[in-house]
Amino acid sequence: MKEKKHITPPKWPLKFLRSFVKKEYVEEIEGDMEEVFQENIEIYSIKKAERIYAWESLKLLRPALIKNLKRTNEFNPYGMFKNNLKIGWRNLLKHKGLFAINITGLGIGIATCMIILLFVVDELSYDRYNEKADQIVRVVLRGKMNGELIKEAVTSAPAAPTLQQEFPEVLQGTRLRDYSTPRITYKNNTFRNSRVAYVDANFFSVFTLPFIKGDPKTSLKEPNTIVITQDEAVKYFGDEDPMGKILDFKEWSAHFKVTGIIEKVPANSHFHFDLFASMEGLDDAKELKWLESNYHSYLLLNMNSDRKDLESKMPAFVEKYIGPQVKQALGISMAEFNEKGNDVGLFFQPLTDIHLHSDFASITELEQGGDIKTVYIFSAMAIFVLLVACINFMNLSTASASKRAKEVGIKKVIGSTKKQLLIQFLTESSMSTILAMLLAIILVLNTLPVFNNLSGKVLQASYILNPQMLLYLSVFGIIISLLAGSYPAFFLSSFKPISALKNKFTIGRGKGIRSGLVVFQFVISTGLIIGTLVVNKQMSYILNKNIGYDKDQLLVLRDSWMLGNKEIAFKDHFLNDSRVEHITMSGYVPAGPSNNNMTGVYPDPSSGVFRRTIVYHIDDRYLPTMGMELVAGRNFSEEYGPESSNVIINQTAAKMFGLSDNAVGKTLKHATDNEGGTEDLIIIGVVKDFHFKSLRRPIDPLIMLKNPNSGLMVRAKTSDMPGLIGDMKEMWTDFNVEEPFSYALLDELYNKTYLSELKMGTMLRIFTLLTIFVACLGLLGLVTFTAEQRIKEIGIRKVLGSTVAQIIALLSLDFLKLVCISFIIAFPLGYYLMDKWLRDFAYRIEIHWWVFALAGLITLSIALMTISFKSAKVAMTNPIDSLRDE
Amino acid sequence: MKKTKLGEFEELVLLTVAVLQEEAYGVEIKRELEERLRERLSVGSIQSALKRMEQKGFLTSEFGEATRKRGGKRKRIYSATPYAHKILAEMKDIRAGLWASIPQLAYDLKTI
Repeated sequence: MKEKKHITPPKWPLKFLRSFVKKEYVEEIEGDMEEVFQENIEIYSIKKAERIYAWESLKLLRPALIKNLKRTNEFNPYGMFKNNLKIGWRNLLKHKGLFAINITGLGIGIATCMIILLFVVDELSYDRYNEKADQIVRVVLRGKMNGELIKEAVTSAPAAPTLQQEFPEVLQGTRLRDYSTPRITYKNNTFRNSRVAYVDANFFSVFTLPFIKGDPKTSLKEPNTIVITQDEAVKYFGDEDPMGKILDFKEWSAHFKVTGIIEKVPANSHFHFDLFASMEGLDDAKELKWLESNYHSYLLLNMNSDRKDLESKMPAFVEKYIGPQVKQALGISMAEFNEKGNDVGLFFQPLTDIHLHSDFASITELEQGGDIKTVYIFSAMAIFVLLVACINFMNLSTASASKRAKEVGIKKVIGSTKKQLLIQFLTESSMSTILAMLLAIILVLNTLPVFNNLSGKVLQASYILNPQMLLYLSVFGIIISLLAGSYPAFFLSSFKPISALKNKFTIGRGKGIRSGLVVFQFVISTGLIIGTLVVNKQMSYILNKNIGYDKDQLLVLRDSWMLGNKEIAFKDHFLNDSRVEHITMSGYVPAGPSNNNMTGVYPDPSSGVFRRTIVYHIDDRYLPTMGMELVAGRNFSEEYGPESSNVIINQTAAKMFGLSDNAVGKTLKHATDNEGGTEDLIIIGVVKDFHFKSLRRPIDPLIMLKNPNSGLMVRAKTSDMPGLIGDMKEMWTDFNVEEPFSYALLDELYNKTYLSELKMGTMLRIFTLLTIFVACLGLLGLVTFTAEQRIKEIGIRKVLGSTVAQIIALLSLDFLKLVCISFIIAFPLGYYLMDKWLRDFAYRIEIHWWVFALAGLITLSIALMTISFKSAKVAMTNPIDSLRDE
Repeated sequence: MKKTKLGEFEELVLLTVAVLQEEAYGVEIKRELEERLRERLSVGSIQSALKRMEQKGFLTSEFGEATRKRGGKRKRIYSATPYAHKILAEMKDIRAGLWASIPQLAYDLKTI
């Protein structure tokens, strides 16, 4: 008989039975099944034998045979877990030093990360309180005119209403006009610090500002009605019911009736007004002046419409409405206007982009916004500091692994699986993480006020201590435990029991990875130091730069117009004061709040080219008071009479008008209105460029006209500023002015202009310090550990005659090498990133080589200090102590 | 007899193991029982009975030889423990006692 072909049983029932039958039974039962199958082949057809096989394997589904349905054969996981916790806890107690370093480092890391996250979340949450935030856009103006870029957050009065009429996808068009802080009187009380805006009646249908009293839809329907925030209402009316009360705006000779009370505008809004007046009474808002931009316009779009779609319809819209007025003003059609290289268009900016993504001229913005770059930088810092903290944890755990090699070895010999060891070590790392989290929460709660102070934010502890945030935090904690604990867990659980027990295990294991991680930490630390140095240097450069005028000892009294006709008397009185050098009458302040006027100039009358310039209205004494220098020509002077057709320009203007060297005596045509009217101005002087906007931007062209106006600036020459100010206050009170005396110091105003940069600088410094601190904690831990490992070696070396210095060098060099390697990576990286950051500034420093040298030196010395702190101690121990125990 | 919990089928399997001695492995037990009971049994029923009894301490087992017919898998040879023999003997005695105690009268009446 021919040898029979061996037929194997069908595959899938086999797989099936393997999947559920207890492991220890599989071989036997499989064998039995196959034996039966082979017998069946003899009796039946193969098909039938297979069928029987399948059916039989199904019948194996019996409680006695299937895998641990009740886990009767497994460890009791609770017991194991308890054991893990106990071992973990004992281990922590045994290595108190390392434990403290771990928890502190991780705690500080998490706390820093949490604070930064709060900051970032807050920045990103701007304007999202509006229920329809995603449907609201702001109409903005972008374009080019005479080679000048125009970016304005304001548009003309008719824009919003016309857009609403013209396009069905625009559900609402609403406008807001900033009216700053007028004087408001109720009965006998006058206040001047409430921010007022005129808004359209439908404003509260677009923006979600909850009403406490009154109706959002009808409150502002009537002219001379006003909606006030709750806090302000208390200020004006005390306990009285504000509804229906009349507020007196004397400067505008207008009265407003309170018709609604709203809650305070949320902190994360791009505007913060206290009073919203009805635009019904504002005649200017009804005029169809398309060429004047004064209104912040917002559109509520249909849910399904795309703003890009709408934008594509804008050129036609501009042509239709603005075209005719351009023709009237400039005498050319829109097409001709565009041919000259001009291009002005309306665009739509999503409401939620306003805070972080605005690049509009700052005078057209309601408030200074944030910067998405700051958000990026801070997010990166949050990740960095967390990484550094996690790396510490990983390094210390793996380094101390040799101490636990025996434990792992014995556990494995007894029958621990890799999975069980992984769980054990992850339990330990989560224990540390939980403790670190608790520490972090305590830290955050205690440092939040300080941080708020620094950042100017109002972040609250309640942001953290709510159920949702706590849920996030626990997820965060799990991620950190996995991040910090996974590598050590895998590392420790992969020991071969034989080598672990034979003491073949050495500290050398995993050293490469540890070194890599240390290098990474120091790349981050050094990079941050470079960043901090550059930011600081740039900031001090800006703050101390020769800004073209003298900002010290200069008092600004912008409210002096309230003296009315006594203003001159006030000025003259103090001009005779020995403590005063100069006084000028002008409300044009080069830093901080100032009168602000834009105008246009035709430098070359024949070409018709139009340049937008800033205009300052000043008097004879302005230049000497401010300490500004003339590079050519002369100042205004009483000798020449009113000089109404003379002008002083700045160097930038001279250059722009093509009059670099011989500007004096030339004539400029000055636009006096929007309809093309002009006047001739003769240049009598050129003033040296001075900065009157942020140094982020280049100096704009400026013309100065002699036109004394309200506002006083006083150049003092005394060390007794408080005394001078006190006398002024007295004089002010003597004149019976309704309002209290107020003043500002120019250098403070100047510093305020750079507040956001200064704040960022401070925060960057603090976070850098924290990151370096955490990194050094890690280094300290590693050194401590290595020193302990090599204590015998050191003892023997000392016996053989090594000096303390040699031993310190022995212990330190390895680490210092790593720190030096990190420089190689950190320097180019730091240069690249900081160079990018600096590009934002029109006036900026160069990054010199010594910045890197200094950063390197700082890092190196901090690291050295950390290392020698421990290594010196070890090097000085008596060798007998370290050698005796064997 | 304490709570030994030896089921009827289990008792049969246990007796078969005792009968088969060195040959007592899954398929052989199955074959023997099928012959004696004159009905078909599934691998699963035999196996679960064996495992249960092993857990209760009636059986011990060890791996035996592997054959080609079994696809190279080893047999597991079962043997009854002394405890099992004791219990089996006890049960036999109990049964015998019971048989003996059935009243003769009734038996006789039945035969009439």
